[in-house]
Amino acid sequence: MEPASQVILQCEHLSRSFRRPDGSMYQVLGDVSFSVHENEFLVLFGPGQCGKTTLLKLLAGLDRPDGGTVKMNGQPVAAPAPSRGVVYQTTALFPWMTVMGNVSFGPLAQGLSKEESRRRAQYFIDLVGLHGFENHYPNQLSGGMQQRVGIARAYCSNPQVLLMDEPFGHLDAQTRYMMEEELVRIWQEEKRTVIFVTNNIEEALYLADRLILLTDCPAVIRREYPIRLARPRDYVDPEFLHLRQEISRQMDPAQ
Amino acid sequence: MSRIPAKLQRWFRQNRQALLWVVISFSCLLAAWQIASMASGGRLQIPPPLEVFQAFFTAFVKPIGQNTILEHAAISLGRVLSGFAVATVVGVVLGIAMGVSDAVYAIANPIFEFVRPIPPIAWIPLSILWFGLGSANKVFIIFIGSFTYITINSYEGARNVDPQLIGAAQMLGASRLRIFTKIIFPSAVPYIFAGLQIALGVSWAADVAAEIIYSQSGVGWIITMGMNNGNYTQIMVGIIAIGVIGYLLSTVMRAVEGRLCRWNRQAK
Repeated sequence: MEPASQVILQCEHLSRSFRRPDGSMYQVLGDVSFSVHENEFLVLFGPGQCGKTTLLKLLAGLDRPDGGTVKMNGQPVAAPAPSRGVVYQTTALFPWMTVMGNVSFGPLAQGLSKEESRRRAQYFIDLVGLHGFENHYPNQLSGGMQQRVGIARAYCSNPQVLLMDEPFGHLDAQTRYMMEEELVRIWQEEKRTVIFVTNNIEEALYLADRLILLTDCPAVIRREYPIRLARPRDYVDPEFLHLRQEISRQMDPAQ
Repeated sequence: MSRIPAKLQRWFRQNRQALLWVVISFSCLLAAWQIASMASGGRLQIPPPLEVFQAFFTAFVKPIGQNTILEHAAISLGRVLSGFAVATVVGVVLGIAMGVSDAVYAIANPIFEFVRPIPPIAWIPLSILWFGLGSANKVFIIFIGSFTYITINSYEGARNVDPQLIGAAQMLGASRLRIFTKIIFPSAVPYIFAGLQIALGVSWAADVAAEIIYSQSGVGWIITMGMNNGNYTQIMVGIIAIGVIGYLLSTVMRAVEGRLCRWNRQAK
């Protein structure tokens, strides 16, 4: 599938360093530039723990780069805004709110009426398969269900871009496969631009329209792969395995 | 059969073990008390439990001084709840303001740290001179003794909000006011309740101390009067009343907390 032509998010020469406790600096993000097209499923894939979450925070507007710019629809990104929704690795659900409270938080915050907010929240709660759990608190749900709430909450404020930071990283393997399948289903039903960070190659290949391979510290783009496999994808399809092998070889720092 | 007895029956069945231990525990106490009373020879210095409980229940209908024991308890509780209510409002507002504003913290904290270690009873003489001999001076002592615990905990609560949750709320378009009311405040509530729980105990202690030093009613007064008249039984009746009320206060507080912080409980 060719990505739609319209560029929605663009970043140029992004870099970011942090200060260690001893005062020295370490760079987590090198010089990263790429564009994201409308309704594209872009996966930022890389080994290790370095740079990917930082990059996503910069795209969200939750952090500022040391150098470079992020533009959304041509406008510079300077602060958090509901046009970009975030799904967090740790879910970051509001524990004192029910599922309904969490999912309807976005529309309420944006000034929609209570009825309208609830109606929209209900739609996305149903979409992620949590019908009947509206009045549960997050601590009453399993990890997979919590992440479904996270996805519904991000969707419900109607963002143009969804930023997902290893949302299935904490789940067990079986739940993870199921959630990946679910995410593709949800995304096909409610198309949005998705930028998805992961360090799991299977997950990356299962989800991506396009895969950007990042290096470890400082993260820079090593290569880009368009992934043209038909959906739903099969983890043991020869083409899938071939790509997996090729990208894994690229990841090897000895190469 | 109606619903309540069925519920009660189930409660008894589920808590049979725990109840048994409570019974054993109190039996030990009563036995030790009885032995001590008999060993002391006279009925005067350590009156036997039966006599004390008789006097305790008699006091429900026959006044000690001007009031029955329930009226004394109500007077004491009224003082505690007034002082505690003011302490809660002041403590929560001040604590959260200190938590969210560095300027408020910088100004309020030194004063606060100075007032905090002063024991509430040290204020009693000044409080009597300022507020007279009635209930108002007790309310002041209760307030000054308990608001510090609420302030400290509210402050901690407001400081310890998960920054990721604030970020998430910002991403969803929440205004600063909404972030305060929907994220920072609820996140601080379990901390606040921990402070309220301690503060309520301190309030009760401060009130009893103030009543013992000077009052004309209340459960602390029962003790002082007993002492002045050499009536050991009356002193012990007062002590039992203080214990029972203190226990009820903390039980009610825990129940309120359990209700309001349902989200904070571990999943069953």
